[in-house]
Amino acid sequence: MMPVRLFFASALGWLIISSVLGLIVSLKLQLPSFMAGCEWFTYGRLQVLQQNAFTYGWIANAIFGVNLWIMSALARFEFKDSWLAVCGWLGWNLALTFGLGAILLGHLNGYSLLQMPKEVAPALFISFLFAALWPAVAFVRRPTGHVFVSQWYIIGASFVFPVAFGITQLLVVWYPTSGVLQALIHSWFIQNIQLLWIGASAISAMYYFISKESGRTISAYYLATVGFWTYFLFAGWTAPASLLGAPIPVWIQSVGVITSLMMLVPVIILGINFFGTLSYNRGFAGAWNNTTLRFVLVGMVSFAISSALNIIFSTRSLNAIVRFTDFTVGQQQLVNYGFVSMVLFGAAYYILPRVTGAFWPSAKLVHLHFWSSALGGLGLALHLLICGYPTGQTGLVSYYIPVIIFVLLQLVGHAAFAINSFVMLLASARNPNDNTHA
Amino acid sequence: MKDFNLILAGIFFTLAASFGGLLISSEVQLGSLGRAPAEEGGALFPPRETGLAIQGRQVYLELGCVTCHTQQVRPAGQGNDIAKGYGPRPSVARDYVLQSQLFLGDHRNGPDLANYGARAKSDDEINGHLRSPAAGSTMPAYNFLYVVDKNGITQPTERAQALVAYLKSLRIDYNSPEAKLKQ
Repeated sequence: MMPVRLFFASALGWLIISSVLGLIVSLKLQLPSFMAGCEWFTYGRLQVLQQNAFTYGWIANAIFGVNLWIMSALARFEFKDSWLAVCGWLGWNLALTFGLGAILLGHLNGYSLLQMPKEVAPALFISFLFAALWPAVAFVRRPTGHVFVSQWYIIGASFVFPVAFGITQLLVVWYPTSGVLQALIHSWFIQNIQLLWIGASAISAMYYFISKESGRTISAYYLATVGFWTYFLFAGWTAPASLLGAPIPVWIQSVGVITSLMMLVPVIILGINFFGTLSYNRGFAGAWNNTTLRFVLVGMVSFAISSALNIIFSTRSLNAIVRFTDFTVGQQQLVNYGFVSMVLFGAAYYILPRVTGAFWPSAKLVHLHFWSSALGGLGLALHLLICGYPTGQTGLVSYYIPVIIFVLLQLVGHAAFAINSFVMLLASARNPNDNTHA
Repeated sequence: MKDFNLILAGIFFTLAASFGGLLISSEVQLGSLGRAPAEEGGALFPPRETGLAIQGRQVYLELGCVTCHTQQVRPAGQGNDIAKGYGPRPSVARDYVLQSQLFLGDHRNGPDLANYGARAKSDDEINGHLRSPAAGSTMPAYNFLYVVDKNGITQPTERAQALVAYLKSLRIDYNSPEAKLKQ
């Protein structure tokens, strides 16, 4: 499938760009004078660039590809109008390139993940509709009556992004509401994007690959419906928990804390579904020996730890200690890298051979990728969580050296992944007999 | 759960619930908040920004200062911002009603700046800090905001002057109906 290959190719490109930016940013923390002479390369801009390239470049493109592929596979969907998705892919990546270039030149907004100039937003919005609503089409037209839990999460994710993104662009950037309401709407946006678009897509992939690659049905499958609806129902409400102590009404903050605790329900159900499926008959050993599931396993563990941390540290007294510190950066790292990116890597190892009809060129590079990403990603998260905790060592010069090493390690892993994937994608592009399908 | 419309309706409901419950209700509570005097007949707060400060706000935005600096002082029960000297009182919603775009921030590599204007002693001190931050600070030097004139003296550019004016305008050392200063 052409669009899936294009989404993965651009996701890889953005992954490498964001990793290089990540390295520069961490070097600048250690040596503030590094590249400080030029306004374009100030920390404030490069860090924003890195975050946007990682989220809208790597994660978004990979999610488009994975969601489309999983939905097509589950719904036995034959993709006929793939040029529309290609238009979406082109529009999304052009708009993103333009937006990131504008940030580099100093045209940016102050809210995270809304920093790109407002003119870029409609292009992203429309491109998203072209690129990412295909799973819904596949679902509606499916010839079989079967439904699998992955499909609900994908439909949810594909629907939440345009709605949350559109509303937030209107109310925060285009026609700003007054004062602190902006911050509240922004936190709602971040939570929806993080949990219901990125998180839900990764959860869908976990359901699919754990069941598919282990060859078992999901244990306690009957709970999955409850898990799905509670997850979607509570997620948006947890937004104010990220604003504890901010100048917003206290009752709203309390709602955020309470719903964060309520997230225990879907998280426990997801835990039962995932860990339960692999827990008997040497399931974990089997998963460790399967490339895709090895990545997904790391994602599962990171998901469990990060969900527990997010719930524990949304309580007022603990949040007061860690808010604004590197501890929260460690939490985000655990979610976006340890959980989401590892699951997406695992998905790529399953999907790319099937859409290219080729084998991975080098098993050594696959191993290198796994170990560099797992050690680099989890090491970075752990370092930030432990040393970023305010009683830790923030502020010491030696503090940023491990950060640089872990980021470098991630970059090595991503380079190995990219080389392996591009060799495969280029080989299939040269092969005119494109008889592979989803 | 096999019906597409049912799933979509359910998801729409979950989004609408959090949107209505959190955002519309807070718009009802805070949407009409405006400037107000701390005591009857007193001056209105927050004060209006000067033209130069508004230009400086744009420089602050362009340089991405919000990546490392927050502008919110949490109340005494929620963190130790006041004990650290970030402000004499917690920030309240009314402090922000005149701002077109908020720089609340969510990460502190440097100190909070909500009351920086009251802490900074002079323009020279702020300019000196922007040109050469204290040793050991993770803040980079913003030398490109300064030029050397023909006498060999370093002068702030217009952008630096605007930025300094903006930083000086950041203060919450006034009484607000919601948060009084301790006498």
